[in-house]
Amino acid sequence: MTGHNPPEDTQTTDTYTGFGNEWKPVKLSREDANLATAWVETRIDRREMLTNKDKVQDVRDIMWQLEKDGEIVVHRITEQHQPVTGKTLYGWNKRIPTNQLWHHKSCGQCGNIPGYPTSLLWLQNQLDIRYLDETDQTSCTAWNYHGSGVGNIVSLAAIFLRNFHQAYVSSVSQGLPPGYYFPLVHCGTSFGNYKEVRSYLLQSSRLREQVKQILGKLGRLVDGKLLIPEEIVHYSEWLHVMRERIAEKQVIDVSNIRATVHPACHVYKMVPEDVLYDDTVLGGNRVAVTTGLLQTLGVQVLDYSTWYDCCGFGFRHIIGEREFTRSFAIDRKIKVAVEEAHADVMVGHDTGCITTLDKSQWIGRAVGKVYELSVMADSQFAALACGAHPYKLAQLHWHASPFEGLLTKMGIDWEKAKAEFEAYLEDVKEGRIETLYDPKRAITSGPGYVKPQPALTEADQ
Amino acid sequence: MNIALRIGDPLSEAPAVNREKLEEIFEDIRNHQLFDHELHGCLNCGICTATCPSAHYYDYSPREIVQLLLTENLEGIYDAMQEKIWACAQCYTCAARCPFHNSPGGLIMILRETAIKHGMQSAKDVLKPYTRVLMKVISTGNQLAPNMITPDAFADWGPNIAKVKAPLKVLRKAIPMPTMHTMDTAWEINIKTSIELYTIWEATGVLGQLETIDPNLFDVVTDLMDEKRDEYEEWLEEQEG
Amino acid sequence: MNTPVLVVGGGPAGLSAAHSLASTGQKVLLVDKADRLGGAPILSGYAKLVPSGEWAKDAIGGMVQRIESNPLVEIQTRTTITEFSGAPGAFKYMLAGEEQTREAGATILCTGFSHFDPVNKPELGFGIFPDVVTTTQVEQMLSSGKGVKCLSDGRVPERVAILLCVGSRDRQIGREWCSKICCTVSANLAMEIREALPQCSVYIYYMDIRTFGLYEDAYYWESQEKYRVKYIKSRIAEVTSDGKRLIVKGEDTLVKRPITIPFDLVVQAIGMDPNVDNARIASIFGVELERHGFLQRGATYRAMGSTTRPGLLVAGAASGPETIDDSIAQGQAAAMAALTSLKAPATEAA
Repeated sequence: MTGHNPPEDTQTTDTYTGFGNEWKPVKLSREDANLATAWVETRIDRREMLTNKDKVQDVRDIMWQLEKDGEIVVHRITEQHQPVTGKTLYGWNKRIPTNQLWHHKSCGQCGNIPGYPTSLLWLQNQLDIRYLDETDQTSCTAWNYHGSGVGNIVSLAAIFLRNFHQAYVSSVSQGLPPGYYFPLVHCGTSFGNYKEVRSYLLQSSRLREQVKQILGKLGRLVDGKLLIPEEIVHYSEWLHVMRERIAEKQVIDVSNIRATVHPACHVYKMVPEDVLYDDTVLGGNRVAVTTGLLQTLGVQVLDYSTWYDCCGFGFRHIIGEREFTRSFAIDRKIKVAVEEAHADVMVGHDTGCITTLDKSQWIGRAVGKVYELSVMADSQFAALACGAHPYKLAQLHWHASPFEGLLTKMGIDWEKAKAEFEAYLEDVKEGRIETLYDPKRAITSGPGYVKPQPALTEADQ
Repeated sequence: MNIALRIGDPLSEAPAVNREKLEEIFEDIRNHQLFDHELHGCLNCGICTATCPSAHYYDYSPREIVQLLLTENLEGIYDAMQEKIWACAQCYTCAARCPFHNSPGGLIMILRETAIKHGMQSAKDVLKPYTRVLMKVISTGNQLAPNMITPDAFADWGPNIAKVKAPLKVLRKAIPMPTMHTMDTAWEINIKTSIELYTIWEATGVLGQLETIDPNLFDVVTDLMDEKRDEYEEWLEEQEG
Repeated sequence: MNTPVLVVGGGPAGLSAAHSLASTGQKVLLVDKADRLGGAPILSGYAKLVPSGEWAKDAIGGMVQRIESNPLVEIQTRTTITEFSGAPGAFKYMLAGEEQTREAGATILCTGFSHFDPVNKPELGFGIFPDVVTTTQVEQMLSSGKGVKCLSDGRVPERVAILLCVGSRDRQIGREWCSKICCTVSANLAMEIREALPQCSVYIYYMDIRTFGLYEDAYYWESQEKYRVKYIKSRIAEVTSDGKRLIVKGEDTLVKRPITIPFDLVVQAIGMDPNVDNARIASIFGVELERHGFLQRGATYRAMGSTTRPGLLVAGAASGPETIDDSIAQGQAAAMAALTSLKAPATEAA
């Protein structure tokens, strides 16, 4: 090529790049070349045309090869998961499983915004989706890692493989075959982290060696090999491919609602080639998740000048340096959504973003920056549109941002709903608790595990 | 020859750091297994800093970090590790936009890990407000528990944690997902799961990092871990019996 | 012998090669897939060329007329080559839609480039906001006489930004090369805009300014001195809109501060991509592509214009980003090489 040889020290044995020098010429046969360019005369598919489709490595190619070489086992998405195929940034296919899902929960959602995951599970109940939500799951620990630097790629990788192995074998506790449930990641940070970590694992044999020892100690290998999921799937991608079916359950007309979407950094900026883009959503120019869902529900989704900006969460800053977080959130996102877009609600798809945008408004009064904007997750908004109870189900009472105006605009009598919830709390005190699924299923091993008698079949789900 | 270099402000009282130490720190950064993946070259285009939320509010620039590392500016790197690297908000917009496919955010993580490894006082200071979270995540495998979110700890989030007045325990039980009927973890974690996590922390050096940052916290956490392990052992024995 | 030389592509390089060949009495067949000759400067409506300042339709249009009135040149437009075979001195090929095989003594590929389509950089706003346009579109505004206007509401812009390196020097989209001409073209366009709209402020956002050789002062210096074009060393990361104006986001790397600036019109200096048909061209003509996707050149020092296949020559932007002037020069060089090979056919790639 250039006739140069790069100096020795850049040729480490463990570089995992996948572009530049590793580009290989196409060398198509005449027929294939014709096929490759025949469409130019007719239609230019811009998502695939002239972008570096051949120049950015698709790690899944490495993954399949590693499985062929006997190094790993892939947890496959199969017909039982009823996958729907979407397209990612460069037009590659991504199969999104829609049924038989293992919920990988989010620390911040479960701790701080409980309505976020409950809305998702409720929607899945409405659509008769089989899932498992259990206690044998650790945090992805990426929030901690990004915030404090305590942790490293090996710990992140080991935790990734541990959780995804549990997803794979969890069904065995119910008498079902392994791989029955496919993991669905709730948190945007987990999603980005797992995408990155999986990519490192596939490209670095050294890292695989390091974690294999640990996973072996934990008894978390499959046939003595690491288990890698075929795709890392974010719940917002599930909402996206299910949006039409969700809209069928819609009971509230939201066409008068003005919404701004806050796309999460870790969802679409970490491993950007692996997240859904859709030509029917904003022309494929911006990430499809959440926007597609809202538009399908009939919401007016509005653009604003800081669409691409982070929310200011800052992993560590939200805990110990919030003057940064709230300044950024108010100045760059909330104020803009209110003043430019005149939005009724800011809808997001990540834990940290919702937390930041929701909790950073009140303090603005101290400096005369009073902007009132309802903030919630796409799952919560969709659930509300489908008739979910705003307090009992969407758990809006945990939100600091004002949602009462939004509910009124949606035609929901929030005062009545609140009274109903307060009455329900009396039931709760007496131990009469309503749940989205049988609580016994939440424990699949260890203390508290009850083996289902007889073994669960499809009919029991 | 042992050359002592004064870092930063010549009138500062900060102790001088000798060149060998600076080189040792840089070697750790350079040899980190992700370094080559995160840093390739730099056009000085400024796109990373353009989109960086921290660059708006701090004296911080991802481009500067990249340049310091590429040019092997040992004193500049050491200086940056004192405060600057903690400004990064880990949004990875820089990585998503960089035309060279660098990840300044990823480089920041390498610098932070190295700062901790060397027990830098700046790392300990900046993580002081964070210790409760560290304890929670290492001992339970959950980042943020409901009972950590109090008006005292998060006064600027508003006067109410929930807009419905009821004890936290009741409100949590009113969440229709059974795994969330807890208060001291975000979701109920199987003890077996926590034990597995301890193995991971030990095997990957994370406990070592904790010991460097906060030896007292390290003692508390290891005690907790031992307790949990004993508890689990007892349960296992009961099962066999 | 007067077996025609086949020249594929009727842009500046092809026109130049055809003319040089015909000037020696050599018959030429000039083929182009478009409906007329002229290549990018004519088909894309370029305005004033660098460095002469002549209008493209005059300069290149003149080259076209010269060829069209030359009896030694047979012109076939709206067509492509579908089959190609043979050896130097005796190539055989077929045109689309024709039944018979034609013969060529030598072949020169002048198939040129494709403009980068900036829909592939959506964060820069092209295809989302109507007032984000390309340098090619501004050329067309100028050459058509319609004037530089905002596409959204037809108003005359007061503030124009030109973003350099859109589609070039960018690993995110697999285009790590420099497109060579955009710095000079942008400086040129900036001056043309300032001349047409004296009240308009023009900013150029750059990483480097590559107005090489004698272009340096004629374009980079003059645009500043005489036309007050402003240069900011910042590659633009994102273009959004507040509903009234476009917002451009960058870091002024010399002042070391993030910047967010409003504009009426944002012009993207789009790069030169390999011809979108290159995979097919390489396959049909049996030549190789180099690693960026352009046609691979053979040895440069001993045989200008060679490809990886003996007897097959290349000239102009087909082998990499190129200026119009140099494409014309390479066309002449390739013509020379073609004539030489006709006299003494080479049996190996030179």
